[in-house]
Formats: sequence, structure tokens, C-alpha cells
Amino acid sequence: MTNRKAVFAGTLALIASSVVTAIAQDQKNTPPASNPVSSQGQQVAALGAPANHRPASTDKSASPREDSAASGIHDNRALRLEGEKRFQANCGRCHMAPPKFPPRAMATILRHMRVRALITDEDRRLILRYMTE
Amino acid sequence: MRYLTKNSVALAQAHHGGPIAYLCSKHETTVSALSNRRRQTPIPTRHRGWLFFATALLLQALSTGQVFAQSADSPPPNSQSSYDQPQDLEAIKPVPVLQTSAAFQTVFDGGETHIHPLLTPVVLVPFGERWLFEARGTFESDLVQQPGASGFHGVVQKEEEYAQLDFIATPYMTVTVGRFLTPFGIFNERLYPVWIRNLASDPLTLPIGIGPSNASTGAMIRGGFKANGHFNVNYAVYYSTLSTASPMDSNRLAGGRAGIFIPKARLEIGGSYQHLLQDDHSNLFGFHMAWQPPKLPLDLRAETARSSVGSGYWAETAYRLTQVPFAQNQLRHTQVVARMQQFFTGPVPANSVLPVSTNMFEFGVNYYFMDGLRAMSSYGRQFAPQGNGNVWTLALTYRFVTPLGRGEVQ
Repeated sequence: MTNRKAVFAGTLALIASSVVTAIAQDQKNTPPASNPVSSQGQQVAALGAPANHRPASTDKSASPREDSAASGIHDNRALRLEGEKRFQANCGRCHMAPPKFPPRAMATILRHMRVRALITDEDRRLILRYMTE
Repeated sequence: MRYLTKNSVALAQAHHGGPIAYLCSKHETTVSALSNRRRQTPIPTRHRGWLFFATALLLQALSTGQVFAQSADSPPPNSQSSYDQPQDLEAIKPVPVLQTSAAFQTVFDGGETHIHPLLTPVVLVPFGERWLFEARGTFESDLVQQPGASGFHGVVQKEEEYAQLDFIATPYMTVTVGRFLTPFGIFNERLYPVWIRNLASDPLTLPIGIGPSNASTGAMIRGGFKANGHFNVNYAVYYSTLSTASPMDSNRLAGGRAGIFIPKARLEIGGSYQHLLQDDHSNLFGFHMAWQPPKLPLDLRAETARSSVGSGYWAETAYRLTQVPFAQNQLRHTQVVARMQQFFTGPVPANSVLPVSTNMFEFGVNYYFMDGLRAMSSYGRQFAPQGNGNVWTLALTYRFVTPLGRGEVQ
């Protein structure tokens, strides 16, 4: 019985220390809220809106063509970054990161995971974009 | 993958900065070097023409090669590189996929050795834009040494774990019919595959709420949606009919599961409910939790289950040693796992659960050779009224994915 209690206490202490370490590390590493993060969040939110509702670029000197090209690059990178975040948050809940499979296979796998892991449609699209580019 | 992204960005920027810029800088260096030498040692007049001609030829050759290379490898000016080209997701037509996981486990349980090979193919067949047929089978065997016979002996067991047809009715709802894994808790649906689970053994409470063969036969509605900017909601509601056709048997029951997922904290909590429509018509309850701190390679998972046949809980933590400052080449592939669990028998006896109340503690070390290939080892101590025992496990798991068609987008 003593042995059983000792193992029980040891396992409980191990799990508790993991939780405490995780919380402490999380608080230590969490950066303070800054403008880039919020602006990126606004940008990703804006990307979900129709094109004519997106915020216009503030660079007045750029030509419309350069402006749209730069905006496209920036939007696409922001989408990819957001896709990586969603990938780690959703897929990492259960398993390690898989490699990138061919796009059409990835589309099937994500349809399967949408049903299996109940990920949202928005998350599926962003993860698919991240995993196929 | 992050490193690949950085490299790709650098390559894309180099493309945008352009080979012309690179050529111009080389050209300037060559010209300035030549002009310096010219200042230091005067060149005879008859050689200047040859030198000029040779330099012009060299520059012409370089520029021609660069231009050809540019036209062959890079997009035309004023266009985005392929890296930055937005891909039309609707143009990606899914193809059938075969995903197979295999394992070879050796279990030393109370002095008896079990060899447990396992092969689990999963077939995914998409139809159109909204349909998916998915099925998983299992071929496994429990090989043991029999008295009077040499070697290990056993029979191959074949199971059809699920075969379901999914219809994605709306972005928030999917309708499933057929034989599906019973969504009670999270282990049976998400963590059961041998290449996903952190410890080779099942939790003691796994049989509670999932039916006689881990699956139900009937219909289910499930989905997930973003409730607001901070959390997502997921749900599953199902009905199962009675089936006595072994090994595809199922109970007559109805139930549901709901969960809240907070992406920023990577925390999911939820609960399950089930009402048995046969036998004692009892109710079953369960709660689950999963947390992966964003800044740590740590997994924390826990489940509880309560029913008339038994109740209990398990809590598991797994830590990947990627942040250890020494021996990183080896330790970043290593994961340490601990799990504690308790099971208490209920007032109604059942064959699906343990006959006695049991406590168990397990510790494991996993090593990831590469994606899909992993070595597992664990030690567990089981405490039960009829006696305590040790359970040692060694296993090798492998998973691979095969597209059953052309994988690239046309």
C-alpha cells in the first residue's frame, strides 16, 4: 500500500510540476500586446472580407499596380502565417506535425480531419492553403 | 518548416531583387577592379583593344546566360513568384487516399510475453465537393508462447472499425451515416490510432461509453464553428441501433458530445453524455480536457467517465525534449510520457470493463526517428485487489500516406 501511495504521489507530482512549468513558461514567454500583432490580426480579419471591403494601402507613392502586387504578396504571406498558426493549434492537439503531402491528397486528408477533429471550415481553408504552398 | 519558409522568403526576395541587380553588382566590381589595375600598371596600347573585346565578350556571355536563366526559371517581371502566387483552393480536387499505420509491440505483462503486430489501413474516398467515404480496418494478433509448443502462436483478428459516409451539409454541420466511432470522450475518436497515442496501452476507462466494438451503427450530426474571436465550439449528436453481427456489433443508444476550444491558449474542454436505450437504460457522463501550451512542447490530456458498469479517469502528460540545452540532436526527437489512471467497478457487471477496481501508473519514453516512424517504450505498475503487476512495453510504429491518384494539381 505504501508503494502504491508513493507511486501515486510521484505521478501526481510529475503531472503537477508539468502544469506549473507550462503555466510559468507560458507567462514568461508571452509577449506584451503590440501593434504588429493587432495589425496582423486586423489584416487577417480583413482578408476574410470581400476585396472591395479591404482596407486601402497607406502608401500613396506606390502605383496602383505595384500597390496591388505588394498587397497581394503581403496578404498571401499573412494568410500563410495564419494557416501555420491554425495548423499548430488544431492538428497539434492530437499528433505531431506531418509532412506536406501532394495538394490533392492534402485536400482529402483535411476533409477527413474536418469531420474527425471537428475543425471549423475557416481553419480548414487556412490550413489547406498553408499545407499546399 | 519554419526554416524552409525563411529560405523560401530569401529566395523569393532574391528573385525580386533580381538577377539583373546581382549582375550589375558583379559588373561594377569587375569594372572597378579593371580600372584600378589600369591605373597601377599601364597597359600597352595594342593590348587595350583585345582586353576591351574580351571584357565585352565575358559580359555578353554572362548577361546572356543570366537572361536565359531568368526566362527559364523565374516568372516575368512585374509578376509574383510562384511562392507568392495565391493558390485557388477550389481548384484542388481531392483524390482517394490510403493511409496505413503499422506497429509491432512487445508486451511483458506479469512475466508473460505478448507479441502484438498490428496493421491498420484507412481509406478515404472523396466524392464531389461535399461527400467523403472513410473506412478503417484492423488486422492484429496477440501472439503468446503456448505450453508444449515452440515459438509464439495466435490468430489474426480482423475488424472493420468504421465505415461511414459523410455529407458536409453546411460549413457548420456534417451528416454521417454508417458505422462510426462513438464520440464519447476524445480518446476513441482522436487518440486511438497507434501512431498518435503516446502510450501503447489503452486507458482503463476506454470501454466506457464507446459500445461493444468501439463503434456505433446509425447516424450522427457533427460540426464545429467559431463562436467568437476567442473560442470555437464543436459538437456531435448521434443515434445508434442494436447490431449483434460480430465483430460489427453495436448497442442501441443515443448521445452527444460538446466541446469548447480556445485556439490562443490551445485549450479544449468538453463533456459527453449518452443514454443507453437497452438493458438498464442508464445514463453515462464524461468530461475531457486537452491543453498544449503554445510556448512549450507539452501535451496535457485528461478524461473522466462515469457509468453504471464503472467509472474512472486518466490524466496524461507528454513532454518533447526540444528545449533541453544539451544533446539536442538526440533529445529533440525524444518524448517522455507519464499517465495515471484509476478505474472503479460499478453496480452492474460487464464483460467490457475490468472486473475489479484498478489503479495504474505508466511512464514512457518515445523516440521519433522521422515523421511517421517512432520507437516507444513504457513501464507501468498496476495495482489491483488480486495482485499488483508490472507491464513493460516496447513498440515500433510506422505511418505512411499513399494518394490513390495524381496528387499534384493539374
